[in-house]
Amino acid sequence: MSASIEIAGVSKIYDGGVRAVDAVAMDIRQGEFFSLLGPSGCGKTTTLRMIAGFETPSAGAIRVDGADITHVPAHKRDMGMVFQNYALFPHRTVAENVAFGLRMRGLDKATIAAKVKAALAMVELSGLEDRRPAQLSGGQQQRVALARAIVIAPRVLLCDEPLGALDKKLRQQMQFELKQLQKKLGLTLVFVTHDQEEALAMSDRIAVMNGGRVEQVGTPTEIYNQPTTRFVADFIGDTNIFRGERTTTGTGASALDVGKGLILALPPTDAQGTGVLSVALRPEKIRLSPRGDAAIAAGSSAHGIVENTNFLGGAVLYRIELASGHRVLVQQPNAGTSRLFVPGNGVTLDWTPADLVALKD
Amino acid sequence: MSSTAAQRPNGLALFILPSALLFALFFFLPIGLMATMSVLTGNPVVMPKVAFTTRHYARMIDDPFYLEVIWTTIRIGLVTTLVALAIGYPLAHWMARIKSRTGHALLLMAVLAPMLTGIVVRTFAWMTLLSDKGVVNQTLMSLGLIAQPLKLMYTETGIVVGLVHIYVPFMVLTLTGVIGRIDERLEQAAENLGASPLRAFIEVTLPLSLPGILAGSLLVFALAISAYVTPILLGGFQIMTLPILIYQQISANFNVGFAAAIGIVLLVISLLLVIAYNRALGLVSGQRELQ
Ligand SMILES: Nc1ncnc2c1ncn2[C@@H]1O[C@H](COP(=O)(O)OP(=O)(O)OP(=O)(O)O)[C@@H](O)[C@H]1O
Ligand SMILES: [Mg+2]
Repeated sequence: MSASIEIAGVSKIYDGGVRAVDAVAMDIRQGEFFSLLGPSGCGKTTTLRMIAGFETPSAGAIRVDGADITHVPAHKRDMGMVFQNYALFPHRTVAENVAFGLRMRGLDKATIAAKVKAALAMVELSGLEDRRPAQLSGGQQQRVALARAIVIAPRVLLCDEPLGALDKKLRQQMQFELKQLQKKLGLTLVFVTHDQEEALAMSDRIAVMNGGRVEQVGTPTEIYNQPTTRFVADFIGDTNIFRGERTTTGTGASALDVGKGLILALPPTDAQGTGVLSVALRPEKIRLSPRGDAAIAAGSSAHGIVENTNFLGGAVLYRIELASGHRVLVQQPNAGTSRLFVPGNGVTLDWTPADLVALKD
Repeated sequence: MSSTAAQRPNGLALFILPSALLFALFFFLPIGLMATMSVLTGNPVVMPKVAFTTRHYARMIDDPFYLEVIWTTIRIGLVTTLVALAIGYPLAHWMARIKSRTGHALLLMAVLAPMLTGIVVRTFAWMTLLSDKGVVNQTLMSLGLIAQPLKLMYTETGIVVGLVHIYVPFMVLTLTGVIGRIDERLEQAAENLGASPLRAFIEVTLPLSLPGILAGSLLVFALAISAYVTPILLGGFQIMTLPILIYQQISANFNVGFAAAIGIVLLVISLLLVIAYNRALGLVSGQRELQ
């Protein structure tokens, strides 16, 4: 039966004073696909290793289904783990690797054989029972590691960048399979990755980490559409970030003066307060049209010149220099060759003020 | 790429030449000479008329004394190896796994430091410890634990103690290299799957370090059976081993032929071990190629 995990104010300071994890708090629900996402060195692996019991937190507590397991040794935690490098036992066959956890649980031979067979069938590795790990491809090794971890029906499955070593095609296939499996078995899965696309595609919820701290926890749409901090906005996808002083326009509406004459109308939700504010605007939320002579709406549109283009296939990413001198990224769907802009084209940009997201620094 | 690869062997061959010569000169020549001497009636340099003979070997096989010496030598070698392994493995494991750099440096120093002192000096140190009036016996007697001094010197035990002290570093260094290359995460994976730390060690680390255990044991055994200074000083000629026998045959009896035959026997014992080692490694080769 899968379990919920509560991480309550956990910190980890390594010998030598590295504060790898800093007062992290999050609740991982039962049956949830939960990702830890963040740049290299932000403490993802350390957090996962503390959940698995390979590291002891310097402060805080970890609870599984409400029971404190902070000081329970790793071998009594009943958690499956897929290591970044798989950590398959090189001196044992595929079947022996998968059987290991069952053997440690003292099951009888016949039961072990049946479970191993079923687990290998589930990851589509039937027939490779007697191979050694070195005789398998990367994707096959990864599946053995997965089978070895789930055959013991763990309360929680922990995965540390399990797909990191795979090429893109196989990676996508494995992403899909892992997600299917997780849903089918109702597993609580904690998934570490530094690949934002992977996290967005697979997770029920994501915790974005930076410098040992959790910046934001939310569903993929929340993380992408409503980033709460500058770091999250910047880390997930492309984004335009404006920083300026709050002002009031002639009509009395609240706006942001980002300098050099560019004023952005603020959505009513962010209109309160004074002082400095950062806002984010996603490139695909900006509309682009050929520059016309008509006057433009102050606060939600601007003139600019296409500086360069980046053809993405289904979409085009433009870098545009505004009349105010600011540079912004704009992404447009690829609507046919005749409608694409080329560098040097004059364009008009417009957007909806409600798409501006206020950020904490 | 392919052109440089084709030229490489020629250049390399030149580099190998000096060491190949050296090898021939200092390895094959002496052993060849020794093998030749062991089947001759006398020294051809001083005796013009020498003939082929197998009597040196026959003498060893026929005389139970010499068989006993061979067996004593092997026994000392085996016990030394086992004790060195028992002491060396935990130490090597500790060294391979220790996180702190200073800790590692200190351990390495502790292991290497004895090697900086000559064997004779270290053996004399053991003599002052192990003799009837030595530190060990004096201490035990003053504590009232024993009435009579224990016989530690001039016994096989004394020799083994001295040999273990001298050859443990070889065991530790060989094992540290092998254990250090075993990914720690394998043990963690085992623990994650429900194995206690001890079980994880037995199931994962121990089998994966088998090549190191074999190599270290081979090294220590070969060194122990050919040791000369320690068996003489700590055995005081009470315990006879093959190297002591060789020395006696040359220096006291001037029987170079017999000495050479004993040398060959010693060599054959080592060679047999190397062959057995390769066999054993072949059996666990699945592990070796995968490491
Ligand atoms: N055993 C250790 N001793 C000391 N510092 C460590 C140790 N392990 C990790 N660190 C440090 O702690 C910080 C977090 O490391 P961690 O491995 O958790 O990062 P990560 O988010 O998993 O990064 P990556 O994406 O590169 O795997 C890093 O600064 C790292 O250098
Ligand atoms: Mg990591």
